[in-house]
Amino acid sequence: MSNSEKLGSESGYHKDIDSALEDSFLRRTLDTFAVAYRANREAIFKEVDERGLIRQIADAKDDACRHMEELYTQFRAEAEKRGVIVHRAATAADANEIIARIARENNVKYVIKSKSMTAEEIHLNTRLEADGLVVDETDLGEWIIQLRHEGPSHMVMPAIHLSRQQVADDFAKATGDPQDTDVQRLVKVARVQLRRKYLRADMGVSGCNFAVAENGSVSTVTNEGNAEMVTTLPRVHVVLAGLDKLVPTLDVALTALQVLPRNATAQRLTSYVTFMDGAGDCAASPTGKKIMHVVFLDNGRTEIAKDPIFSQIFRCVRCGACANVCPVFRLVGGHRMGYVYIGAIGLILTYFYHGQDKARILSQNCIGCEACKNVCAGGIDLPRLIREIRARLVEKNGAGLPMSLLSSVMKNRKMFHNLIKFASFAQRPFTGTGRDNVSYLRHLPAIFLGKHQYKALPAIAAESFRDRWARIKPVLREPRMRIALFSGCAQDFIFPDQLEAFVKLMTALNVDVDFPLNQTCCGLPLDVMGQRATAIEVAQQNVDAFAHKKYDAIVTLCASCASHIRNVYPEILENSPYRHQAETLVQSIQPFSAFLHDTLGVTAEDFNQSGESVTFHAPCHLCRGCGVTDAPRELIAQAANYVPCEEEDVCCGFGGSYSMKFPEVAAQLLENKLKNVQATGASRLVTDCPGCVLQIRGGAEKKGLPVRVSHIVELMAENVRSRN
Amino acid sequence: MAPVNQELVDLFIARAEAVAAQVQRLPNMAAALQYAVDVCARKAPCELLADEDVEKGPDGPNKVPTRVQKILAAPDLPDADFAALAEACAAQGFACRRDGLRNHLAGIDVGLTTARLGVAASGTCLTVGDNEDTRLAGMISETHILILRASEIYPDLPSIAGQLRDRMAERPGSYTVFITGPSRTADIERVSAVGVHGPLELHIVLLEDAHV
Repeated sequence: MSNSEKLGSESGYHKDIDSALEDSFLRRTLDTFAVAYRANREAIFKEVDERGLIRQIADAKDDACRHMEELYTQFRAEAEKRGVIVHRAATAADANEIIARIARENNVKYVIKSKSMTAEEIHLNTRLEADGLVVDETDLGEWIIQLRHEGPSHMVMPAIHLSRQQVADDFAKATGDPQDTDVQRLVKVARVQLRRKYLRADMGVSGCNFAVAENGSVSTVTNEGNAEMVTTLPRVHVVLAGLDKLVPTLDVALTALQVLPRNATAQRLTSYVTFMDGAGDCAASPTGKKIMHVVFLDNGRTEIAKDPIFSQIFRCVRCGACANVCPVFRLVGGHRMGYVYIGAIGLILTYFYHGQDKARILSQNCIGCEACKNVCAGGIDLPRLIREIRARLVEKNGAGLPMSLLSSVMKNRKMFHNLIKFASFAQRPFTGTGRDNVSYLRHLPAIFLGKHQYKALPAIAAESFRDRWARIKPVLREPRMRIALFSGCAQDFIFPDQLEAFVKLMTALNVDVDFPLNQTCCGLPLDVMGQRATAIEVAQQNVDAFAHKKYDAIVTLCASCASHIRNVYPEILENSPYRHQAETLVQSIQPFSAFLHDTLGVTAEDFNQSGESVTFHAPCHLCRGCGVTDAPRELIAQAANYVPCEEEDVCCGFGGSYSMKFPEVAAQLLENKLKNVQATGASRLVTDCPGCVLQIRGGAEKKGLPVRVSHIVELMAENVRSRN
Repeated sequence: MAPVNQELVDLFIARAEAVAAQVQRLPNMAAALQYAVDVCARKAPCELLADEDVEKGPDGPNKVPTRVQKILAAPDLPDADFAALAEACAAQGFACRRDGLRNHLAGIDVGLTTARLGVAASGTCLTVGDNEDTRLAGMISETHILILRASEIYPDLPSIAGQLRDRMAERPGSYTVFITGPSRTADIERVSAVGVHGPLELHIVLLEDAHV
């Protein structure tokens, strides 16, 4: 089945994911890469102001996007002055036709190419080959996948999914000689084979990293030096560039060059960066001058440039970092994490350049951990844009009956909460008690669980937190602070004990807690499923619920709720009458550990030192969503012995509804997490999000690991020294 | 002559060596030319990666024939320097070429060219490849030797934007290349390998004097 067909059917896509998960070579390669990349990237960015540079790139590319037409006009005039013929193609087919025509008019038979993702986007090779031209890729990775008739599995390392044995077999077929599997030797096979191809070529096709308007120059960034050969030896040179590659000045290109190689391969600079400014000398050409064409591809870009939300995708410099840090990419590889373009940006670009049929299922395969947003060279809010695509797909095509039903239930808080209570009653015959007296769904026949068997699923609590509230609400005479609790659904209905521990802790620290009963689901699960209208509705209900009293802070023990309210409410309520009213909630919401550590300023004096060995899992929405990194670790150390864990901030695989959609991927993420946790030797793991507790505790329970998993609030409440 | 900033020179050397460039500090052009001849003498004969009507030696490591007469190309040297180099090459039996490199696309032994300036932060050389032979000398040679004045080293990429702009404006149809280490790939199992298309080795001669 072709990649394109796989993306069209749920079953085909899941089957493909299963086979990737079973590919032990792929798994090992991507694991090693993920770990090495992380360390190398961190080291190479120490020398520069990473955040400052990313900001500069974002600003410069946003500015270029706003002035795309002027830059195009300026580039064209400058390039034409220097003997270059500039074309503009509205569609992929037009671009293919223009390039095919250039080949025809120049009696071209052999075409040689250096790396161009844009050429992959328009499937240029297929078009040129249909005209009887011989097309050879020269980037080593691209040549390998060309020999295999495959698409790239990574934007920078297109053949990362292949082993040296596979490459040796392909080279043996291509050369007719058996080949050694030594990588150094294999690279030299390419050196020998490709030199002859350069020599016979009549036309070179290159990509373009920067099209500089101020002097009409094009720039390519490579390590192999193949772009220099491709643009020098043949008499004709065609540059294919997306309109988004236009930048106003050389300065912008030089700024981006400080990030692109660092982000792509943790290099300070690639071996070769070339600036070609006009048609230069070429002894192979009858006129002595290169016949040089630049083809700009639109393919929807001018429309995207006008989009207030999506125009930021043009900050992309094609470094591939969003794939390098993606926990899902690491498990399933690029062929399931994109169509032509790979990684988080690939999910988005597929929607725009290759259509919603290919993007529909693909756009679901983001767990929302925000690791990509954190490293993007242009600071693109990739997870948000993926959610936007889901919302647009739902808006356009509807969401199917179960989703629509869920959506209408969620609009009505009372109906939603009653339904959960009914579920709690209905599940009773199936529940059982695990260790720590935690209730699990024990007796469901496995057939109902299917791929979800990898973890024990918790039961809905017999009595929710909201039903306990009137009974347990503490009364403090002279509290040092008055706060409100935003519970989130998971803790209200599944883990009310975590909230009780919170109330106990706050009472001990003399902090008054209020729990406004009209609050409802924060809306995150709705938004990630593309249910934008309902997500806005519940957001508004929450704004209302907290509007009646003034609080010193609003605290949530769910990092996902905190991140959603803080980051997503302002986006989705932008055009709502609640926009201003929402500011109080948005600005007051704090994740638990930040509140306890930074706002209350607790110290080791406030806690008994339990001496227990406790490790930590950093929830995605806490460390990246809210930027809270040190507070929880310092809190643990105040009450216990903190033991660091490998990859503490890599996603545990919960991802809300993601783990329901892609249980096979979620299970593997959990497996990796548990392996790292076990290696710490700690007897307990704490985290600051009920979703992560659910996932990691369920996995530990299923495996019978000797690790107790709890919310950090429970550790702190167990060891607090009362102030009263 | 601009003063040499020792800190920048040290950083440049460290960063260039970090990407497998071999850096030599030499007092003057005569020493640089001698260095190039010595490198050419020491190296194994160049492999012929394509057909060329020339006397062929035994197969090299990649199972293709080798050159019997080594070639050292130095297209952008001033006349007097080229004459001196040609004389030293003749004494060793090497062919010394200033142009016509398209006749030797199967590969040459050494390409000797000059760098316009260096960038310390990444160990990068900015080279001018408007002349096709100069460009080819840095691409089809097995060993590329770049001559760089120690006084022409700048801190980082943004600090040379103005010079890059002026350089590109010297003529229409300019071709400017930043070179940072030899030709490199990690496309097979992420194993780093050099010499996939271009030079197998990059040498940088840092000249203490200003007369390049």
